[in-house]
Amino acid sequence: MGPFASGSLLLLGLLVLLATGMPIAFALGLVSIVALILSGGFGVMEIIGETFFGGLASFSLVAIPMFILMGSAVASSPAGRDLYEALDRWLNRVPGGLVLSNIGACSIFSALSGSSPATCAAIGKMGIPAMVERGYPKSIATGSIAAGGTLGILIPPSVTMIVYGISTETSIGRLFLAGVLPGLMLTALFMIWTIISCRLAGYSFEAMAQRFTLREKLQALPRVLPFLSIVVAILFVLYGGVATPSEAAGAGALFCIVLAVVIYRMWRPGPLVEIFRSTLRESVMIMMIIGASELFAFALSSLFITQSIAMWIADLEVNRWVLLLFVNIFLLIAGFFLPPVAVILMTAPILLPIIVQAGFDPYWFAVVLTINMEIGLITPPVGLNLYVINGIAPDIPLQTILKGALPYVLCMMLGIIILCFFPGIATWLPGQMMGAAL
Amino acid sequence: MRLYIATVTALSRAGGVLAMLLLAAAVLVTCQMIFVRYILGGSTVWQTEFVIYAIVAATFIGSPAVLIDRGHVGVDLLPKALGGAGRRWLEVIGAVAGLAFCLLLAWSGFIYFYEALTRGWRTATVWQLPLWIPLFPLPLGIGLLALQYVAEMLKLRDGGTLLAGEATHFEELE
Repeated sequence: MGPFASGSLLLLGLLVLLATGMPIAFALGLVSIVALILSGGFGVMEIIGETFFGGLASFSLVAIPMFILMGSAVASSPAGRDLYEALDRWLNRVPGGLVLSNIGACSIFSALSGSSPATCAAIGKMGIPAMVERGYPKSIATGSIAAGGTLGILIPPSVTMIVYGISTETSIGRLFLAGVLPGLMLTALFMIWTIISCRLAGYSFEAMAQRFTLREKLQALPRVLPFLSIVVAILFVLYGGVATPSEAAGAGALFCIVLAVVIYRMWRPGPLVEIFRSTLRESVMIMMIIGASELFAFALSSLFITQSIAMWIADLEVNRWVLLLFVNIFLLIAGFFLPPVAVILMTAPILLPIIVQAGFDPYWFAVVLTINMEIGLITPPVGLNLYVINGIAPDIPLQTILKGALPYVLCMMLGIIILCFFPGIATWLPGQMMGAAL
Repeated sequence: MRLYIATVTALSRAGGVLAMLLLAAAVLVTCQMIFVRYILGGSTVWQTEFVIYAIVAATFIGSPAVLIDRGHVGVDLLPKALGGAGRRWLEVIGAVAGLAFCLLLAWSGFIYFYEALTRGWRTATVWQLPLWIPLFPLPLGIGLLALQYVAEMLKLRDGGTLLAGEATHFEELE
C-alpha cells in the first residue's frame, strides 16, 4: 500500500473512532498502534510503550500541569470578581466602560487562568447580570464575554502555546512573546466592535454610567496586583532565559496557591483538593493526548505519510497565500470539532514543515493557528464558551448568545488578515526581546 | 459484578489521590530546585528527573480516576445527536476500542518495564536512577485504566453512559 492509501485509511479509521465519542487520546493511540502493527508486525509492540513514555518524559512538558495548576488556583478563588470590580471602578468614565472592563477582565483573567471556559464562568457570572442591569443588549453582554474568554490561549502564559512549542520544537518563551501583541490587538478589536455595536443598538453610555470615588478605586487594587505581578514576573523570567518555562510555571503555581490561601483565606482542605483535582483532570487529559500523538507521529512517519504529504504540497507549487488559506480553512474546520490541544498535536507535525517551506515564520504561524482555535471555542457545534455562558445565564437563549458571538468571530478573522499583512505584530516583540530566531 | 466495580473504582480513586500528591511534590521540588540553583547558586542532581517522572507517573496513575470523571475528552456530537439505540451502539464500539488501546499500551509498557527491570537499566544521568522505577507507573496505571474501562462498560450495560454529560462541565466550573 502506498503512503496515500495508508494515510487515507488511517485518517478514516481515526474519524470513525472519534465519531463514537470515545476519548480522543485513546482513538488516536489505537489507530496508530494498529497501523504500526499492520505495517511492521507485532514486533512493534516492543517500542510502543517506549515511544509513549518517551513522548511524556520531558522537562518542557512539566510546564503544562504547572500552568494548569496555577490557573486552577486563580480560577477557584474569587480573584475574577475582584479583577472585574477593579476594572469597572477604573474604567467607568470611559464610554462603554462596563463592557470594556468586562473584555479587559476577560483578557487578564484568561491569561492568568489559561482556561477559556473558566474565564467565561468567572467574569460572566458578575459581568453579564451587571451589563443586562445597566441596559446593555443581551447579545452584546454575552457575546463579548464568550469572545473575551478565548483570549487566554493566545495571551501568555498559554498551555496551547506550550503544546505547540513542544510538538514543533520551537521556543516556548518566544511563542509566549509572539502572542502578546496579537492578544492585545484582538482585545482592542473586540472593544472597538463592542462600542460600535452598542452605538448601533442605540445604547446611551452616558445615561447609564456609575461614579466611583478615588478611594473606592484604590480599595479595589490590592487584591488584584499580586496576581497580575505573577504574570508579569513569569514573562520577565522567561525573556532573558533566566529560567525555563517549566521552572517559571512551578514557581507561579506555588505563588498562586499561596496567594489564594493568604488573600482569600482558602486554607480549608476542601477547596485546595478541588484545585488539585481539576488540575489532574485537565493535565492527564492533555498528557494522554500528547503521548498518543507521539505514537501518531511515529506511525505517520514510518508509513512515509508525513514526508509524502510535504513533498506533494511542495510539488503543487501553489501560491503561498493560497496554501495558507487552505491551511486556515482546514484548521478552522478541525477547530469546530476538536479541542485546540488535540488539533495542534495531530496537525502541527504535518503542517509546520509545509508552512516553513512556504516561507512563513513558525512563531507567526503559531499565532494564526491559535486564533483559528479561538474561533472554534465560540462557534457551534462544540464551542465550549457558548455552553458555559448558556449555563451561567440560563434566561438568555442560546440563539441570542450565538448572534452576539458571531461578530467577534469576524473580528478574529480580521485579526488573521491583519497578521497576514503585518506579520511584525507577532514577530517584532520576540525579536526585540530575544534576538533573531534561529 | 457490583463488588468488582466497587473495588476497581476504589483503587482508581486511590490512584487519583496518589497522582495529586505526586503533582504537589513536583511543584515543591521545582521550587526547591529554583531556590538551590538561582538563589544559593548551587547545582542540582536529582530534581529535574524527579519532577519529570513524578508528572509522568501522575499522568498514568491518575488516568483511571480521570476516566471515572469523564475527563478524557471526546467528540460526543454524533452519539448525542443519534440518541437511543444508535447512541448505545456507538458507546459500546467506543468502549471496546478504548479498552483495546489500554490493553495494548499496558502490555507494551509492561514489556518495556520488564526489560528495564531484568537487565538493570539505569537513566543516563548523574542520578543513575534504575529505569524500572519511573517505568512502573505505565503498566500499573494503564492496566488499572483497562480494569476501570471494564467497570465503566458494566455500568454502561446497566444504563450508564460513557459520554461526558452536559452537566458535568458546569459542575466543575462552579
